[in-house]
Amino acid sequence: MPVPAPLTGRRILLVDDDRGLRHVLSTLLTEAGHAVDTTGDGPDAVARIERGHFDIVLLDLGLPGMSGLEILAHARALPSPPLVIVMTADDTSSTLLEAVRRQAYRYLRKPFAPNEVVAIIAGAMATAPHAALSIEVVSAKPEWLEVIAPCSLEMADRIQSFVMHLEADLPEPIRESVAQAFRELLTNAIEWGGKLDTTKTVRISCVRGQRMLLYRISDPGKGFDIDGLKHAAISNPDGDPLKHFAEREEQGIRPGGFGLAMTRSLVDELIYNESRNEVMLIKYLS
Amino acid sequence: MTIVEERVADVTILRLKGRLELDTGDMVLRDHVNGLVAEGRVLLLLDMHDVTRMDSAGIGMLAGKFLSVTRRGGTMRLLHLTNRTGRLMHVTRLETVFEIFHDEDEALRSFQTRP
Repeated sequence: MPVPAPLTGRRILLVDDDRGLRHVLSTLLTEAGHAVDTTGDGPDAVARIERGHFDIVLLDLGLPGMSGLEILAHARALPSPPLVIVMTADDTSSTLLEAVRRQAYRYLRKPFAPNEVVAIIAGAMATAPHAALSIEVVSAKPEWLEVIAPCSLEMADRIQSFVMHLEADLPEPIRESVAQAFRELLTNAIEWGGKLDTTKTVRISCVRGQRMLLYRISDPGKGFDIDGLKHAAISNPDGDPLKHFAEREEQGIRPGGFGLAMTRSLVDELIYNESRNEVMLIKYLS
Repeated sequence: MTIVEERVADVTILRLKGRLELDTGDMVLRDHVNGLVAEGRVLLLLDMHDVTRMDSAGIGMLAGKFLSVTRRGGTMRLLHLTNRTGRLMHVTRLETVFEIFHDEDEALRSFQTRP
């Protein structure tokens, strides 16, 4: 019997063998307006997913009777698959990468703040149907992750979340700088290169060497002329950090233009190809 | 992102909470400040303590709204920058544009001496 759709929220299946966590999350999600069903057993979860028409599955990976990754694959193979948010205490990169390969929507490492789940679900609802878009995994090695993703801003959040889980062992300041720079470049590629057209894609490679991180982002646009970026803060003279706003107002562009200036200051190297539709950012690890 | 508004005499305090980022927080900030400007309230103090993330679009909107209110004879000042948001204001050199405060009373007094 399918779970009835709530008036405002989503139909959610919560799969976790931790009874306490099930109770906390279930209460929180119900209060947020969602219809929540729960189970702590793998085979039972599969049966419920098959007959329940859930929008979202919150899935623990360490379940009795069946691996959560198997349930993920099963759920995503359905004709109208639910979004699956993986929750796990397993912090190995191989588990994360397998979850990405099997089209997990998000990956939450336990312990997490319960409100984080509510926020992720609210984000998925706000960006539907883009939340249902798939990421193609080209390489899923911890030292070389490469994916192809549709040009949707929602993808920037998803991919950044996966990539930053992979870099969880880095000191917080480095992680934060790289995350910010990566997001700026990825957003630029999706917004300006891909024109937010979800039929177009960006290609992203994240390479982890012993002494450096290298991210390469390739977008489907024509590139740009850096000398023509009068609407960007990098063109400003010293002492006038808002000079480019006049150009932006003239061109009718929203306030902004700080992305490149920010990114340059956050990483060690920023290298573009000739046409500037492909960029590499490098952060050295001492 | 959410904004809680308080009014202290002519000054409007906006307490920002959440992500000041492209397509989410930046639009919320734009709409809120535009509403205040339409009412003639152009002395603004933005409490940034609970801004968890900010990107270039968020910074751009801060700068854009700063220009809007100053053109109407007002000003926008910042309060309680976190390490993260403070670093971004530094690298974009916007710390030379905004007056930034760590103490709310001091920030409010500044509007009396330099409205």
